[in-house]
Amino acid sequence: MANFPIPSTDSSTRWSRPRIARAVKSVAFGLLALVVCVVTVFPIYWMIVTTLRPTSLNLRYPPAVLPSQIDLTAFTQLFAEEAIGRWIFNSTLLALMATAICVGLTILGAYALSLLRWRGRGPFAIFLLMTQMLPEALIIVPIFAIYRSVTERGIPLRESLPGLALIDAAFILPIGIWILKNMFDSVPREVREAALVDGAGPFRVLFQIVLPLTRPGLVAVGVVAFFYAWNEYLFAQTMITRADIKPASVGLASMITMLDTPIERLLAAGLVFAILPVVFYALMQRYIVAGITAGAVKG
Amino acid sequence: MQVQGMGVTTRAEPLFGSLEFAPRRPNWTAFLPYLLALPIVVYEAVFIVYPIFLGLRSSFYQQPLGGAERWVGFANYGRMLGDAGFWAVMRTTLVYMLAVVVVAVGFGLFAALVLNRQFRGRTFARGLMTVPWAFPDVPTVLIFLWMLNPNFGVMNVFAGFLPWIEQNPTWLLDQRLAFFSVVLVTAWKGFPFYSLVILAALQSVPADLVEAARVDGASPRQAFFAVTLPVISPTLLLLTVLASIYSFKQFTIIWLLTGGGPVGATETIAIRIYNTAFRFYDFSYAGVLGVAGFILALSVALIFLAIQRRQEREVS
Repeated sequence: MANFPIPSTDSSTRWSRPRIARAVKSVAFGLLALVVCVVTVFPIYWMIVTTLRPTSLNLRYPPAVLPSQIDLTAFTQLFAEEAIGRWIFNSTLLALMATAICVGLTILGAYALSLLRWRGRGPFAIFLLMTQMLPEALIIVPIFAIYRSVTERGIPLRESLPGLALIDAAFILPIGIWILKNMFDSVPREVREAALVDGAGPFRVLFQIVLPLTRPGLVAVGVVAFFYAWNEYLFAQTMITRADIKPASVGLASMITMLDTPIERLLAAGLVFAILPVVFYALMQRYIVAGITAGAVKG
Repeated sequence: MQVQGMGVTTRAEPLFGSLEFAPRRPNWTAFLPYLLALPIVVYEAVFIVYPIFLGLRSSFYQQPLGGAERWVGFANYGRMLGDAGFWAVMRTTLVYMLAVVVVAVGFGLFAALVLNRQFRGRTFARGLMTVPWAFPDVPTVLIFLWMLNPNFGVMNVFAGFLPWIEQNPTWLLDQRLAFFSVVLVTAWKGFPFYSLVILAALQSVPADLVEAARVDGASPRQAFFAVTLPVISPTLLLLTVLASIYSFKQFTIIWLLTGGGPVGATETIAIRIYNTAFRFYDFSYAGVLGVAGFILALSVALIFLAIQRRQEREVS
């Protein structure tokens, strides 16, 4: 490491010309890899550094790149002074409901798409693809009107977490079906046929043969559904205004407009909110990426 | 289990249709797929198709605040087509989509090519990719609002490296810079997923073919264009469509960063619909805008299906 390569005209020495060229190349490549990593994580790094500094250091320009001290008061104050515990609880409840609806229906849909051959299969796949491509903002107005009138008739869908979970599930269902279908496709046909020969019915094949073999796929669907509802902002902030049932995405966004919130506390709240999805997506990455792209390609 | 999806047709065979293994089973299994699909179709019909229908219906009515709705035919459509603001929004939407596709897929490809090489810490670098991908929209906006703060934001430091920048840019208050910032944030959130997908596709590039090309005297660039690119181009095409859908659907990032401003510089159709309905309470006009957005979404979807069909045909 300490010896800097000394250019030499003698090609038989250690630092011959092609060797230097290779060294230059690998340094250049290292720089490129560094650029990719910095672009990817710098914003997150900056968020973390900011949460570890007191306001006095954050409101200083130019900012220091490294944290000079580690100060966790932003986090302790966050839980002491903001309703974040309540918000996280609401988000968890909401996400669990959306996941339950989604996982149940996903199993049915993936079974029909992957393991069965039927006439309506193509149109069903296209129907799912279409709903998957639809922007939430396009139906927010009519769905708001529906929820308002249903609520007036005594079924509280507005200002209710179950009501919100119902829409969230509708939007995540198609992707969930693709992820699980992709897993079902990988179950060898012989395994299913053997069970059929043994006289098992279609539901026994599904629950006792196929599902146990595709458990990671089911977990991936759960993760995607849970965090779609957890992260979702547009429906949540349109349907829910009551403070006691506010999910965390809406609560966090409302902190932006409260000008007296110190920046490190605001970012600490964002970090707390983001940790779970990052951990779970990292664990299930393989299945989710494969499922989403397979869904988009196969149809 | 990787992205073998790219064109490989499914192996599932008729199983309950032919029933050769279980001849005594009653015929209800023929209806099984329909029974399975029914709850899903009903669910999506109630929560997605019916609202679309209601939106379409509302576009033919005029609803004064507190009054009864009145059939007005195509009057709302006439108003939309004659509204310069509508065309500005359409233009912003398309430019935004294009910019996000170019930046996110472009950088995603670059990152994938870099991470595809052998080097120490490669697994770690790939793992980093999941972080922005999994990071929820609202905290993403929080970070960037802070980084783009005109007084204390760290982006000012980076901008300061550019020779022609003399004072801190007013990021989200300047029309051009606001648009640029919104595209950048959206692309930052989008590119890691594209990168992961391209990385998976690069695994199917035959290494010996690249090797052979290199041995035959092709430069790395020539080898890339002759061998690698043709293999991953279906993936890139697919990602282009996915990125257009992703940017077209985008609401939260734009809404919380700029709210569509300044002076409509970042107002896409999604934002405009929301503003029209919930800020100006003009529900019938929001309905027409929704129909326009739906037509745009449908055309992207149809292009997508056409591409998909063609790719399937090429394989079989």
